[in-house]
Amino acid sequence: MIVSKQEFLDHSGVHAQMLEFWIEQRWLIPQESPEGARFSERDIARARLIQDLKGDMGVNDEGVDVILHLIDQLHGLRGALAQVREIQRGSV
Amino acid sequence: MKSPYEILGVEPAASAAEIQKAFRKLAKTLHPDLNPGDKSAEEKFKELTGAYDLLGDADKRRRFDSGEIDARGAERQQRPYYREYAAADEDNPYASAAGYGDYAETDDALAELLRRAQRARANQRGEDLHYRLAIDFGDSISGAEKRLTLPDGGVLDVRIPPGLVDGQILRLKGKGAPGRGSGGPGDAFIEVEVLPDPRFSREGDDISLELPISLTEAVLGAQVRAPTPTGEVTLTVPKGSNTGTRLRLRGKGAPRREGGHGDQYVKLKIVLPKSPDPELEAFVAGWTQGRTFNPREGGAS
Repeated sequence: MIVSKQEFLDHSGVHAQMLEFWIEQRWLIPQESPEGARFSERDIARARLIQDLKGDMGVNDEGVDVILHLIDQLHGLRGALAQVREIQRGSV
Repeated sequence: MKSPYEILGVEPAASAAEIQKAFRKLAKTLHPDLNPGDKSAEEKFKELTGAYDLLGDADKRRRFDSGEIDARGAERQQRPYYREYAAADEDNPYASAAGYGDYAETDDALAELLRRAQRARANQRGEDLHYRLAIDFGDSISGAEKRLTLPDGGVLDVRIPPGLVDGQILRLKGKGAPGRGSGGPGDAFIEVEVLPDPRFSREGDDISLELPISLTEAVLGAQVRAPTPTGEVTLTVPKGSNTGTRLRLRGKGAPRREGGHGDQYVKLKIVLPKSPDPELEAFVAGWTQGRTFNPREGGAS
């Protein structure tokens, strides 16, 4: 499911100005298309995470920046680990 | 079924602040996106947020305490977490190799596996690039547009924000090395060196300047031109000024983060003519007050 910016705003309840800031901070990297930004399910789930952090969990913008950076590294590492496992399986 | 108080691990008499604190502490260890490898996290976090939905809201908590609603009403819908998408496929533009890149650079079996894994992951965010840039003191105060020539011959336009301090690092998002596939580019980090200006010194938002004036200007007062980092201004030297007299040019310092500007302080320094002046000598020789005044005695200044 890929949605437009307006659908994303309606669906997530995120404020338009807030979304601009998130994109500027590269917390969200929507795909560019001739009709404007397109958001994937991954982007929507990531937005939910940002909302969790900034909402009930009380994390400020600097904290969100750090957390997302570390989570992105963690998933990079998990991805690499998964690949290593695949290679091991293939070669054994 | 556990009561929401048990789930949060607080007493039924706990204050709203205690409940919030307990929630935040547990949320860190149970949020599925903060614990992507913990399969049980999702169920536990759902339980936790359900409990907090009830107890974190004063009105709902009151109704729950009085038996008007029960804990089942607070159960949350199943929702997708980011971790499911982060791990699922290989074109995740967010994933970063910054956490293990060094391990892939050594020369052992694991590094070889990691390198193969990296190659397999076609879409990667570009590397962050680091540069240095030297600017004039004046530009650091007033801000400027600078063009940085890169080692590869390319250029980078850098906006120097007004009031920048020596050693400050500017980040240009997306101006680093290009990514592969759908991985976006990295960022450029520019460490800015502010070249000292012998005339000015900066302390916080304030700027100091030593300004030479003539004996005539000091004794009789005068309008003189004084440099500031943003251009010359006219300054009134009051009658009877002395070496060490400090004058303030309000708002001529560096911009403040919270708005407004610091001040520039001008410290006057009386300078006599370079070559001996017979007229001045004759006048001072006949100046009786000048012989009785001793500036080395207390309170003389």
